[in-house]
Amino acid sequence: MEAVLFYIFAIGVVVAGAQVVLRRNPIYGAVSLVACFFFLAGIYVLLSAHLIAILQVMVYAGAVMVLFVFVIMLLNLKEEELGEMHVTTMKGIGLAAVLVLVGFIAWKALTPVQFARDMAVNEQIHGFGGVKAVGNVLYRSSVLPFEVTSLLLLVAVVSAVVIAKGKI
Amino acid sequence: MGNLPSLRYFWPESILTVAVMAMFVQDLVVRRREHRVQSLTIGALFWLTLTALATYLYPSGTTPLFGGLIVHDPLRVFFAWIFLAAALLTILIVPKSKQVSDARVGEFFGLLFALMLGLYLMASATDLLMVYLAIEMVSLVSYVLTGFRRADRKANEAALKYVIYGGVASGVMLYGISILYGLFGTTRVVGDGGIGAQLADVSSRLFMAHAFGGQPAAQLALVVAVVFVLAGIGYKIASVPFHMWCPDVYEGAPTPFTAFLSVGPKAAGFAVAIRFFFAIFEKNVPGVGWVAVSDVPWPAIIGIISAITMTLGNFTALVQTNLKRLFAYSSIAHAGYLLMGLAAASAAGVQSILVYLMIYVLMNVGAFLVVISVSRATGGEHIADLNGLGTRAPIAALTLSIFLFSLTGIPPFAGFTGKYLIFAALVQKGGMWNVILAVIGVLNSAVSLFYYAKLIKAMYFEESRDDTPMPVPGLYTGILVSLGAMVMVLGIYWAPLLRWASAAFGGTTAT
Amino acid sequence: MMTIGPVHYLVLGAILFTLGAAGVVLRRNAVVVLMSVELMLNAVNLTFLAFSRFPLVQNAPMQGGILQGHVAVFFVIATAAAEAAVGLAIIIAVFRSRTSINVDEFDSLKF
Repeated sequence: MEAVLFYIFAIGVVVAGAQVVLRRNPIYGAVSLVACFFFLAGIYVLLSAHLIAILQVMVYAGAVMVLFVFVIMLLNLKEEELGEMHVTTMKGIGLAAVLVLVGFIAWKALTPVQFARDMAVNEQIHGFGGVKAVGNVLYRSSVLPFEVTSLLLLVAVVSAVVIAKGKI
Repeated sequence: MGNLPSLRYFWPESILTVAVMAMFVQDLVVRRREHRVQSLTIGALFWLTLTALATYLYPSGTTPLFGGLIVHDPLRVFFAWIFLAAALLTILIVPKSKQVSDARVGEFFGLLFALMLGLYLMASATDLLMVYLAIEMVSLVSYVLTGFRRADRKANEAALKYVIYGGVASGVMLYGISILYGLFGTTRVVGDGGIGAQLADVSSRLFMAHAFGGQPAAQLALVVAVVFVLAGIGYKIASVPFHMWCPDVYEGAPTPFTAFLSVGPKAAGFAVAIRFFFAIFEKNVPGVGWVAVSDVPWPAIIGIISAITMTLGNFTALVQTNLKRLFAYSSIAHAGYLLMGLAAASAAGVQSILVYLMIYVLMNVGAFLVVISVSRATGGEHIADLNGLGTRAPIAALTLSIFLFSLTGIPPFAGFTGKYLIFAALVQKGGMWNVILAVIGVLNSAVSLFYYAKLIKAMYFEESRDDTPMPVPGLYTGILVSLGAMVMVLGIYWAPLLRWASAAFGGTTAT
Repeated sequence: MMTIGPVHYLVLGAILFTLGAAGVVLRRNAVVVLMSVELMLNAVNLTFLAFSRFPLVQNAPMQGGILQGHVAVFFVIATAAAEAAVGLAIIIAVFRSRTSINVDEFDSLKF
C-alpha cells in the first residue's frame, strides 16, 4: 500500500516539477507547482510528517503560490516577453555537473548507508510528526530560531512594501 | 545554558530587535515634521550607542547559549565591534550622501538594524540551522537595501540578480545542511555530540567509513555536503566561484550601503567560516596546536580557492573604469587575501584575519566615503571623476591616497600590518605550498598597486574641467581625517589590536 | 510488495533538487527562476523529513531528538515565504522600470 502511494505521489511530484521548468507560460508553471506541492504533501504524510504536510498545503500551496499567481497576473506578460529556454555551453556544463553530483550522492553514496531504526520510529515516539511532538521541540530547544524567524517575517513584510509600493 | 538564563548574554541582540521596530515607528511619527532626517539619525545613533554599550558590558568567558544554538565567546565580541564600527560609519554617512532620499532614511535605518541583528547572530551561531537563518536575515535585508533606489534601473536589476543568486546559494547550502543532518543526526556544529565532536571521535569516523561500504573514497556524501555548505559561506564572502553577484550589486546599491556590504557581511561570513572550519576540519591537540581531522586536504583546497579569488579579483579590477566596480573586484581580491589566513589553519592565521578585517573596515569605508563625496559633487562614479581632486579637495585626495596605499599593503600604513600578519602566519605554518601561496599573495599585492595607482594618478596628475574647490561636508572631512589617522597609527603600532585578536581566538579550546 | 526505504525518498529529493537547479539555470523568466528556487527548497524539506523518519544507525539524537528535522522544515518554509515575498516585490519594481523581467536582457550592468 505504502509503495503504491509512494510511486503515485513521486511520479506526480516529478512530472509536475518538470512542468514548472519546461512550460513556457509561467501561469501553467505556477499551477503545476501547486500540484507538485500537493503531491509532496502526500509524500510527507507517508513520512509521518503530519504537521508539516498541513503546513505545506496551507503555507506553500495556499499562501506562497497565491502570491506567485497574483504577481504573474499583475505583470500580465505578452507572448513575446515570456522568454525561451536558453541553453549555452557554460550553462549546459554547469547543469551536467549538478546532475552528476546530486545523482552520485543519491545512488552511490547513500545506498549502502545502513538505516537502523527503519520503520520503527513511529512506535518509539508517541505522536511522531504531530502538532504536539513537533511543538515540544519547536518551543523548547528551538525557541531562538523561532523568534528570529518572526522578526524575519516582519522585515520581509516591511521590505516588500518598501520595494514595491508606488508613491511614498 | 537554557533559554531564559541565556538572555543575560543576549542584550545587544535584544536591543537591536527593539531598534528595528523603534526606527519604523519613529519614521511614521516624524513623517511630516521638519528635521526628520536629523531626528532619525539621532534616533539611530541612540540605538547604536545602546547596542555598543551592551556589547561592551558583555560578560567575559565562553558559554553556549540557548541550548547550544549560539555561543558567547571572545570571538563573537570581536566581530560585534567590527559590525558596530561599520554600522556607525554607515549611519553617519547616509544622511548627507544624496543617495538615499530623505523620505526613506527611517526605513533604511530600520532595515540596517535588522541586518546588524543578522550579523550578530552569524558571528555567534554554532548550529547550522541558526547559521542559515542568520544568513537569510542578512541576505533578505541586503536585497532590499540594494534595490533601495527604486527609480534607478541599475539598482533594481542588481537587486533582482542578488535575489536569484542568493536564493540559489541558500538553497544549495540548505541541501548540504540537510545531508549533514542525515549523516550526523544533528545540525549542531560545535559542542557535545555536534558534528565536529562526532568527526573528531575516532569510533564515529570508523563508523562513517563502515557506513559507506568501507572505502575511504566513499565519504563522498559527507564531502559533497560540506562543499555545499561552503558554497553558501563562499557566497557571503564573495569568493570565487560565487563572486558573480558582487560587482553588479556593489554598483547598483546606494554607495553608503555598498561600503557597509563590503565590510559587514564579509566579516560575518568569515566568522561563520572560522567556526565551521575549526569545528569540522581541525582538532586542537594540547601542546601541538590544530591538526587536521579529515583525510580531505581542506586547507589546501581553501588555499587554491584563495589564490584563484585574489588573482581573478585583481586582474579584473585592472580594466574597470567605474569606481564602485573597481572596489567590488578589489573586495573580491581581499576575500582571497583573507582566505589565506584560513588556509594557514592555525591560531595565528585566524588572528591575522581578525586584525585584517578590523583594518579593512577602516580603510575600505574610508575609500568609499571619498567616492561618495565625489559622486555627490560631480554626480559621477568613474575614475575620470577623480581628476584634479588633489587641488579641488586636498584632504579627500590625501586620505584616499592613504586608504589606497593601505589597501595595497605598503609599509607605513595599516593594510601592511594585516597582510604582514597573514603572510607570517602562512610561513610560520611551514610547508612549501604555504610559502608558494604567500608568494602568490605578495605578487597579487603588486598587481593591485597598478589599479590603485591609477586612481592616485587621476587625482594628482590629470587635469579636470573645472578647478573650483569641491564641497565636502565637514562631517565627512572629520570622518576621513580620523579614519586616515587610525590607518596611519595601526600601520606603525598594531600591538594592541593583535593582542585583542589573540585574546579573541588564541585561547579558544577545542570543541 | 517492495518496501519503500529512505533511499527512495532521498532519490526523489535529489531529482527534485536537480529539476529546480535546471530551472534556475535554463529559464530566463525571473518568476520561473524564483519558482525553481522554491522547488530546490522543497527538495531540501523532503531530505530533512526523510532523514528525520529514518535516522542513521548510531546517531544519538541530540536534545530535541529526531524531530529536529521537522523543526528545520518549519523554518525553511517560513524563510522561503519571506524570500518569495521580497523576490516578487523586486520583480515588480524591475517590471515597473523596464517592462521586461527576462534575466538575460539586463544590460545596464556590464560583466
